Amino acid sequence: MTTRRTAAQTAIPDTDNGSSSSGNIISPRASEKSNITPAVPSSVIAKLLGFTFAMITLPISTYFLSLNTLFSGNSTWAGASAAIMANVVLLSYVVVAFRDDQSERAEMMEQEKKAR
Amino acid sequence: MADVELTPKFAPFFGMGGIAFAMIFGCMGAAYGTAKSGIGIAGVGVFRPDLIMKSLIPVVMSGIIAVYALVIAVLIAGDMAPPPGQHYSLFTGFMHLACGLSVGLTGLAAGYAIGVVGDMGVRSYMQQSRIFVGMVLILIFGEVLGLYGYITQHHAIQACCEG
Repeated sequence: MTTRRTAAQTAIPDTDNGSSSSGNIISPRASEKSNITPAVPSSVIAKLLGFTFAMITLPISTYFLSLNTLFSGNSTWAGASAAIMANVVLLSYVVVAFRDDQSERAEMMEQEKKAR
Repeated sequence: MADVELTPKFAPFFGMGGIAFAMIFGCMGAAYGTAKSGIGIAGVGVFRPDLIMKSLIPVVMSGIIAVYALVIAVLIAGDMAPPPGQHYSLFTGFMHLACGLSVGLTGLAAGYAIGVVGDMGVRSYMQQSRIFVGMVLILIFGEVLGLYGYITQHHAIQACCEG
């Protein structure tokens, strides 16, 4: 608002003769499809959704399910199993994160070998 | 009734207070842990996106703190029933209040520790990958504070309250 822009600057430039045929990343040609692949691979999203669901449902459902079936109303052990299940979910997340890291490293080393 | 003095009408106030404090403070701790370590993850993710999955460990641990608070709150709520069905003694009310307060405030402490350590830990992990084991150990010790509160109060509810 403090700078005055001329009409020539504010007008959206029409396709130039020089670059319209090639297109580039910022402004591809109208016929080209832009790259809309998600930045995060769907396997990662699936893992995260799975762990979210597990963390929400598993501990409280182990408490209620084991209360009457396994421990016959003694809620001490049912509560302990709920805490154990929450820690199991945490541990499995750590294991999956480590494996993810190692598989990524193996892929990178393979790609380096192919590039050579 | 001989024990009307021991089961006054205002006794459920303390029990309900225990439920509320457990959930409120437990979730406050979990929220602080998630938010503070989320700041660190957002900072790390810009430079090293491959570290994001490992950096989410503090967030999962904060979630566990909330689970402890949830289980204790459900346990206390399961012990309470309206007046014609159950005569809720003042002793039980105070015990439930103590349980809810202690599990909630230990969860708040644990969540605070996890948040601060998670934030600085993942930022340092980006630069020095050997910090990871140390960070996870510190996080586990912080988590264990909430676990102590959970275990002692769980035991207290069971041992002191037969009905």
